Amino acid sequence: MATVSLQKLVKRYGALEIVHGIDLEVADREFIALVGPSGCGKSTTLRMIAGLEPISGGNLKIGGRIVNDLPPRARNISMVFQSYALYPHMTVRENMGFSLKIAGMKSEEIAPRVEEAARTLDLTHLLDRRPSQLSGGQRQRVAMGRAIVRNPDVFLFDEPLSNLDAKLRTQLRTEIKKLHAKVQSTVIYVTHDQVEAMTLADRIVIMRDGHIEQVGTPEEVFQRPASKFVAGFIGSPPMNLKDAEIADGRVVFVNGDSLPLPRRFADRVTAGRKVTFGLRPDDLYPAGHGIHSGQEADVHKADLRVSITEPLGNETLVFSEHGGAEWVGRMLNPRRLRAGETLPFCFDLSQAHLFDRETGRTLRG
Amino acid sequence: MGALKRLRPSTPFLLLLPAIVVLAAVVVVPLLLSFYSSFTPFRLTQPASLFNFVGFRNYGRILTDVEFWTAFGRTVLLLTVALNAEMLLGLGLAMLVEKATAGQRLLRTIMMFPMMFSPILVGFQFKFMFNDNIGLINNALQSLGLTDQAIPWLIDGTLAFWAIVVAEVWSSTSIFAILILAGLLAMPKEPIEAARVDGCTPWQTFRYVTWPFVMPFAYIAMTIRSLDVARAYDIVKIMTDGGPAKRTELLWTLISRTAYADARMGLANAMAYFAIFLSILFTVYFFRKLAAARTQIGAEW
Amino acid sequence: MNENAKARLAGNLLSLAHKLGLFIAMAIICLPGLWIVLASFRPTVEIMAKPPVWIPQDLSLDAYVAMFSGVGQGGIPVIDYFSNSLIVSITSTVISLAIGMAGGYAFARFRFRAKSSIFLGLMLTRTVPGIALSLPLFFVYSKLGIIDTHFGLILAYVALNVPFTIWLIDGFFRQVPKDLAEAAQIDGCTRWQAFWQVEFPLAGPGIASAGIFAFLTSWNEFALASQLTRSINSKTLPVGLLDYTAEFTIDWRGMCALAVVMIIPALVLTFIVQKHLVSGLTSGAVKG
Repeated sequence: MATVSLQKLVKRYGALEIVHGIDLEVADREFIALVGPSGCGKSTTLRMIAGLEPISGGNLKIGGRIVNDLPPRARNISMVFQSYALYPHMTVRENMGFSLKIAGMKSEEIAPRVEEAARTLDLTHLLDRRPSQLSGGQRQRVAMGRAIVRNPDVFLFDEPLSNLDAKLRTQLRTEIKKLHAKVQSTVIYVTHDQVEAMTLADRIVIMRDGHIEQVGTPEEVFQRPASKFVAGFIGSPPMNLKDAEIADGRVVFVNGDSLPLPRRFADRVTAGRKVTFGLRPDDLYPAGHGIHSGQEADVHKADLRVSITEPLGNETLVFSEHGGAEWVGRMLNPRRLRAGETLPFCFDLSQAHLFDRETGRTLRG
Repeated sequence: MGALKRLRPSTPFLLLLPAIVVLAAVVVVPLLLSFYSSFTPFRLTQPASLFNFVGFRNYGRILTDVEFWTAFGRTVLLLTVALNAEMLLGLGLAMLVEKATAGQRLLRTIMMFPMMFSPILVGFQFKFMFNDNIGLINNALQSLGLTDQAIPWLIDGTLAFWAIVVAEVWSSTSIFAILILAGLLAMPKEPIEAARVDGCTPWQTFRYVTWPFVMPFAYIAMTIRSLDVARAYDIVKIMTDGGPAKRTELLWTLISRTAYADARMGLANAMAYFAIFLSILFTVYFFRKLAAARTQIGAEW
Repeated sequence: MNENAKARLAGNLLSLAHKLGLFIAMAIICLPGLWIVLASFRPTVEIMAKPPVWIPQDLSLDAYVAMFSGVGQGGIPVIDYFSNSLIVSITSTVISLAIGMAGGYAFARFRFRAKSSIFLGLMLTRTVPGIALSLPLFFVYSKLGIIDTHFGLILAYVALNVPFTIWLIDGFFRQVPKDLAEAAQIDGCTRWQAFWQVEFPLAGPGIASAGIFAFLTSWNEFALASQLTRSINSKTLPVGLLDYTAEFTIDWRGMCALAVVMIIPALVLTFIVQKHLVSGLTSGAVKG
């Protein structure tokens, strides 16, 4: 069990800098998810932690010890690869026991540990098969089994579920969560799927272009996104983001529409400020079909024309339009809507966000 | 840090070192030596002649030597004819085998058959078959009543040239066929089906979908072949040994004769450089083609 | 006749033409070899007969008996040639494999400067025609006194085989996902251990076939061997084949029998590796 700390960690390929000096403290037994779009440097960061990529600058500490130049085997980590990377020429049992064998452990010591891990992951009946005889979900579980057998300080996961179909992914997500509750070790989990990150992690690290945009608990990154990028990345469907300017206590959009300036921003932003206005679909709903957060005075009503609906059963996503701008809302207890229908919508402005248009950083209200 | 690393030899360099050492010792250094000796009138029988520098005299003599240029032209002609024929026949054979519904394994195995024949054996085998007196070909032609004469396959210059082409094509078509077949088998089926649905004729499907995909495989075969086109020396050496009366003399047989029978090493080495240059030209050309074809495929599929 | 019937007829004709074409192609491939095998069992009289004898009347093993019965009784020192061939081929194969594995691994797993030029450079050494190489080698070997020795021939064959072996082995290592070696390093292996425990076993069949290819090249090589060998000390089978040719006569039957002896090991080995050989040469053709 160990902490992991990244201090000004840099990755360069020749003149090209991929990771620009990131700082991150991972507590002991914490489950950290690194998320971001592809090419944001999350996998490179993970591979530097694993020791598979040389570190170009800064320090990496595992359990307080600087491990910058140590090979992977000296870091006491284990890793689950996106491709699972199971050794095709070994049985499941040999795959899982391989690290212990390399460590020089005797086979009578290895066997009980492999079997223990196999029981945890419900793999006992597959132990003598080869990876090629397993299904995708089974291979994934073997890869996890191989990781837990050696009882490492840190688990690294590199998009472990992205090769699986949607149903299996949900199922294995739950298993990973249970596993973490059981083995109680530090986990660093890379994914591009924000739902995975939200459901699994204690804290989420959102990365973009080799920088960290925000670090926070799932609630924090969802409710108080530090930037426009985070606001757009976390949450599905994504937050409505519209460029606007502040004038006369109102938020005036590019197409001329306007909304009252949310009250909590009243004293914070001056007229003429260029902003991006953000409102989650959850806070934009047809009147009578949503929950507002209590402050009636902050709810603004406006008529929108429905263009497309996506019924999801217990709720319906409503894509509607006003003055050429499209807004996505969420309708609870839905009724059937017709395209072209005009409906009164509630804008719950107490939940609205404002971001600086230049920097993309949030304006705290 | 970076500077320190540069001082230490890198891992790939160390891994490549044995290969480089062996090739330098057995190929590069002797070639340098032969390059030097091509500027001398070196004869094996007169070791001192190695130190008699005559500049470009050997090369000058070659440039005006009709016999050499005839052999050179014949070599280029042989390679052009043989490589094109091998490519076309290989493609045809691969497509025949790919279309076969049963016995694929057996067919592929038979297809590899000529590959394991030593070129010297190929030469001998065709010398036997083309023998004017007892050869299978003349025997068959005579028994079928197509001719009552013994056709002098290996004695007439033109016929001998074609007999050599046949032997060469027989021995090397299978490399093309095997690699092109690998390409055909590796090819995804969807684009072909899409082309058929889009209304392509079989020829158009082949021309615009199949061939571009298979091309890199054909180039691999070409590259491999160009690596040792000079294998043809073995075949010719046995079948005609450049004869009769130098009418099938190729660059390589001429070099061998000049060096060993006439013992004029310096001159032979100068000739050899023409042959080496020719081989390198072939190989570099096909390597380029191969690289280009690979990137093209990468972009399309 | 309606459209469908026409199309069906055309299809049937095409399929018939396909079968016929396939049959003719296979016949052309097989016939020369079979003819030699047949001739090796026939008496010389029958081979030379005019008009030709098509149906073999008299099959025997006489040619083989004569070949092995030693020099002076119509035989040639075939045992010596065979063992020379075997020693030279096997040794040079083992050495080229070791060198080729190191080089192939470097090309498959590392990025370094001028990589493709170095690769091309190595390949180009292979393009030097055997006969052109044999001139200086003959001279150097004579000076070093290693002409007509196993060592000299082995050295030459190693150099001959290394470029192609590197090409093949590079392909086989590329087929082993990089992830696996990384996983092994995470599992506690050093790079060296990761290679032997994971990458080598997985590329093994491919490496074996590269070895067989190298073996065949050495086994069949003639241009160099004909100049670098002199006597039964080092003469290999392809050179020995010429023992059956005199100035104006050729012992066809004996040559056929020796050809069969030469071809059998090659035949067996090629069939063992055919699958891997193709995949090694073409890996990377699609993916680059």
